Amino acid sequence: MNWRKWNYAIHRDLGFLCIGLTLIYALSGIAVNHIADWNPNYVIERVEAQIDPLPSGVINPIIIPQILQQLGELNGHENAFQPDPDNLWIYVEKRMIRVHLPSGSVKHERVKRRPFWYPLNFLHLNHPKKAWTWVADVYAGALFLLAISGMLMISKKTGLKTRGLVLTLAGIALPLLFLMVYY
Amino acid sequence: MNKALIFLLMMTLSILLSSQALAKSFGAGLSLKQSTPLSTILANPDAYVDKKVQIDGIIIDVCERRGCWLYISGDKPFGKIRVKVIDGKIVFPLEARGKQGKVEGVIEKFVLSKQQVIQREKHYADERGEKFDPATVKSGETVYQLRGLGAEIAGL
Repeated sequence: MNWRKWNYAIHRDLGFLCIGLTLIYALSGIAVNHIADWNPNYVIERVEAQIDPLPSGVINPIIIPQILQQLGELNGHENAFQPDPDNLWIYVEKRMIRVHLPSGSVKHERVKRRPFWYPLNFLHLNHPKKAWTWVADVYAGALFLLAISGMLMISKKTGLKTRGLVLTLAGIALPLLFLMVYY
Repeated sequence: MNKALIFLLMMTLSILLSSQALAKSFGAGLSLKQSTPLSTILANPDAYVDKKVQIDGIIIDVCERRGCWLYISGDKPFGKIRVKVIDGKIVFPLEARGKQGKVEGVIEKFVLSKQQVIQREKHYADERGEKFDPATVKSGETVYQLRGLGAEIAGL
């Protein structure tokens, strides 16, 4: 087998191997690229409510169940915290309830992981660390090999001398152009 | 064969259950043997600048989008400190809010101008989807925060 056949085989098999990871990185890449416009990991539902006003100051923990009762919360609270004399934050099973004591206004936050996007972003942003760092490095190496082997898959009609050359140069020029403008 | 399979399943189940009960470690984990009460640090914060400390408290808030900061409560009413980590190096899950945790890091001091405080508060309000009135900020601030290196949070 000559080197062209080896090159083709490497490009083909690496391509198959990288399909899953490429889809993960591509989809998650779009998701986290627009993090300023949406939260790609969590759906946060915010609901406002009203309870009877309460006096400011350091609260007695006894009143927390009473506040929860007014809000129709049947579960007990995990913890509570007062950032200042006017506000009380109550934590109930993946939810956060912010109570403004003097006005009685309540902001209720329920957090839910996005079932599709959270795991994708978890892998893309390398939250697992450990062995996944190596997987990501091997994937990056495989992409490098795909690029090189792809460039070497020359045919006379569509090779580097004609269309291939133009497209390869365009792909290199695009990041260079942005570097010239923004860097 | 069946006994071996059942044994393997039992082992897997017990590992999974015990990992749920244990505190989850983040970043470098914990290296100090003792926590310092936050009230002690905040009583004389300049004495702790650039020093490594461990704080024990409730995780009261977490960065919604990147998990790159959290607030941990202190041992006295209204006491809290912000813990900032390098983006991506440690990512705190939003579910950590309300959990008991220990955070370790180095105390840092920042002297913020009024404009910087406005920018910070506007950023926080934007993240929470709330309105922000810059007129509520009257002056600049001296802020102490923890440059987070590691943490352990229970119940995650």
